Amino acid sequence: MRGRGQPRTLSSSEKVTEAGSAAGQDMRVLVGGVGYRFLRDNALGVYISDSFAGRVSNGVEVEDLGYHPIGFTQNLQDRPTYDRIILVAAIARGREPGTVKAYRWDHELPPAEEIQDRVSESVTGVISLDNLLIVTEAFGAFPEDVWVVEVEPADESWGDGFSPEIQARLPEIEETVWNLTKP
Amino acid sequence: MCFKNLPIEFDSAGNATLKPGAADPYLYTETPVQTPIEDDPEKMRELLERNGHVRRVDFDPVTRVAGALAFHTVVDLDNREVLETASMATLFRGYEIILQGRDPRDAIFISSRACGVCGGVHANASALAIEMAFGISPPPMGVVARNLLQAIEYLYDHPIHLSLLAGPDFSEPAMRDTNPEIWEKALSTRVKGRATHGYEFMSEIMTDLTPLTGKLYLEGLHYTRVAREAYVLIGGKFPHPQTVVPGGVSTTIDTSDLNEIMLRMVQYFDYGRKTIAIWNDICDFFYEVNPKYRDIGTRPKSMLEPGQWDDPYAYDGTYENADDWARERWAPPGVIVDGELVTTSVKMLNAGVEEFVEHAFYEEWVGTTGGPSGSYPFPTDPSGNPLSPYHPWNKQTIPKPGGTSWKEKYSWSTAPRWDRQAMETGAYARIWAAAQAPEFSHARFIEPTGKSLKVDLPKAELPNDLVEWKVPETWGAFERNRGRAYCIMYTAAIAYDNLLIAYDLLRKGGPDARMSVPYKVPKDHRIGVGLWSAGRGYLTHHLEMDNGVLENYQILTPSTWMASPKDPFGNPGPYEEAVMATPLLENYEKPEDFKGIDVLRALRSFDPCMPCTTHIHTDERTISREVVTCACGAEGNHAH
Repeated sequence: MRGRGQPRTLSSSEKVTEAGSAAGQDMRVLVGGVGYRFLRDNALGVYISDSFAGRVSNGVEVEDLGYHPIGFTQNLQDRPTYDRIILVAAIARGREPGTVKAYRWDHELPPAEEIQDRVSESVTGVISLDNLLIVTEAFGAFPEDVWVVEVEPADESWGDGFSPEIQARLPEIEETVWNLTKP
Repeated sequence: MCFKNLPIEFDSAGNATLKPGAADPYLYTETPVQTPIEDDPEKMRELLERNGHVRRVDFDPVTRVAGALAFHTVVDLDNREVLETASMATLFRGYEIILQGRDPRDAIFISSRACGVCGGVHANASALAIEMAFGISPPPMGVVARNLLQAIEYLYDHPIHLSLLAGPDFSEPAMRDTNPEIWEKALSTRVKGRATHGYEFMSEIMTDLTPLTGKLYLEGLHYTRVAREAYVLIGGKFPHPQTVVPGGVSTTIDTSDLNEIMLRMVQYFDYGRKTIAIWNDICDFFYEVNPKYRDIGTRPKSMLEPGQWDDPYAYDGTYENADDWARERWAPPGVIVDGELVTTSVKMLNAGVEEFVEHAFYEEWVGTTGGPSGSYPFPTDPSGNPLSPYHPWNKQTIPKPGGTSWKEKYSWSTAPRWDRQAMETGAYARIWAAAQAPEFSHARFIEPTGKSLKVDLPKAELPNDLVEWKVPETWGAFERNRGRAYCIMYTAAIAYDNLLIAYDLLRKGGPDARMSVPYKVPKDHRIGVGLWSAGRGYLTHHLEMDNGVLENYQILTPSTWMASPKDPFGNPGPYEEAVMATPLLENYEKPEDFKGIDVLRALRSFDPCMPCTTHIHTDERTISREVVTCACGAEGNHAH
């Protein structure tokens, strides 16, 4: 499966071009931040949710996805289908801290046994971008157009505030996510 | 006299005192652990060379449990027995250290994050500890609201375990893979519970327990949603409620909220009946196939339950009256040793608790931080009952990371003991203690008989058959799962009872219908304890505060009891003990075919919960994957 560990990546500028930058919204877009509020860089996703909350308008919805993917899957199944979902998270994949990668989710799934393990982790409270992608996909709740913006964390220890590496990239991360909300 | 090993005796008035004469009554001499095979490389190599059937098998991580549990075994595949076990909690949690120096009120919200499955139970336990320290207690409606949160959380928790975590061990793929001969028998075995669950053959149940596709698996997922929807109507978020506060609950409840909860909660009446019928059939089938299945995960019938779900008119938050108000709970406290209920006193339950760290990655604190054991901070509880220097009120959490040695230190779990005995805890301990409770105050839908517990709920769609859990004659993994199935009905009955009380309180109005009481954070020295439970059993929060901040905060969870390493007396923890006693009934011809399904059934029957980080090690390969738990997802649309 390609979605985990080796994401297909685009630079920020490539991504903006591919996603388009025209204004005007006839589409419903969900921006979801995945992470944990008390674990420094790991809080990036919920920070994005918080900071975008005031920009909710014109078809863009924002949600703190710091909760388990089964719940998110069930919530999605209750709602009208989104045209696009954008997931934002800090996730350690061994890259240079602060590396920002944006890519379109390829909808590929791992073997059933791994999916089962991910479901088990999900219902027992594990928050993880990969779990969210795999479980939501496995239960068919994603729309076709799913984007991921992930950032390599430098510090996931207990506490508030980001590492300098992440702090320095916040404007770029926010711009990347916001541009993806456009048609 | 409930203590056999601690230096406590009782006078003619029933007051607990230290036995006279001993200068250092809690002093003990450590019994060295027999040198494990694993710690003697030469012996291990020789053994493996001479005996190809002796294998080291590590379950690392143990999957389909919550959080970071690894389990080490040495097994003799010819004799089908387990030779050696070691249970490893592979994460330091550290909430005790995070909470030091904070405003006590933070503890409700921070300690909730200790678990992504059942954070709400920590919030409730923390609120109780704070109320004792502050000298306050909620109005009846505040107690009822918390009772509802606690019950609804279990209606999320128990289906998860039975359908998603333990259930797959009995599914068609698992049976085909590990015991195909039993699967063949299942194809032609008719089951008794058809009128309730609709299945004719055992094989149909097994097929529907199949992960991801089985109807029972998916139904379990569905019921997690129903419970979450009900929970957020009071808690605001799940599983980390935003409304539990000292002195009650910081939201309001109206009839519409109660109706919304009722609509969801009654769905568990039939789901509970169906789940009981399924697990009765699973137990009956396996016992019939091979009576040795009764021995999977067996250990002494020794367990404890602090009690939970307070009576709204009895709970006053004081330690002084704790025995009285705790006995009025819907789940009364109880300590069961070798199948006998030895006390229902929550103060004696508390006084009997000690934590040891000889085999855990912590520094000893007795004699190092508090002086010799004779001069530790709290030699007695607030009622004058003796406490050990190893008691949570006297404990200091001092992490000491290091290498793993089966003879020395190998786990981040301490070794809690009650009266210096290994104890398990869980949903089954809850109904066991309730079944044997000498007095029971909430008999509207629940009836203890001494040997059983009856639950009689109104009819939903299925016939309203009274269900009766009977204290089991034999004890092991299957009975743990069966007991948990009954607990869905037991919990639904408690939720229903509390809902009816909430309707009544709303109708009457007045002070009793208020949600919380005002309070001030005291600035003098105080202590408190939340004697409570999680879905998986025993949960206590002990706190000490001064100058308005926490000086010490100690959380003792059910899985700390059960994942415990060996104690200084040489006794294994419950997981270790249960797996040691587990016969290997799996069908394998070659050692490399061995899957360890019976070991896993034994472990998973305890419903381990080990948040928050997983460290994965498999043979020569080591994979580290950081995971964080929290499931604070579903938000209520609760506007008042």
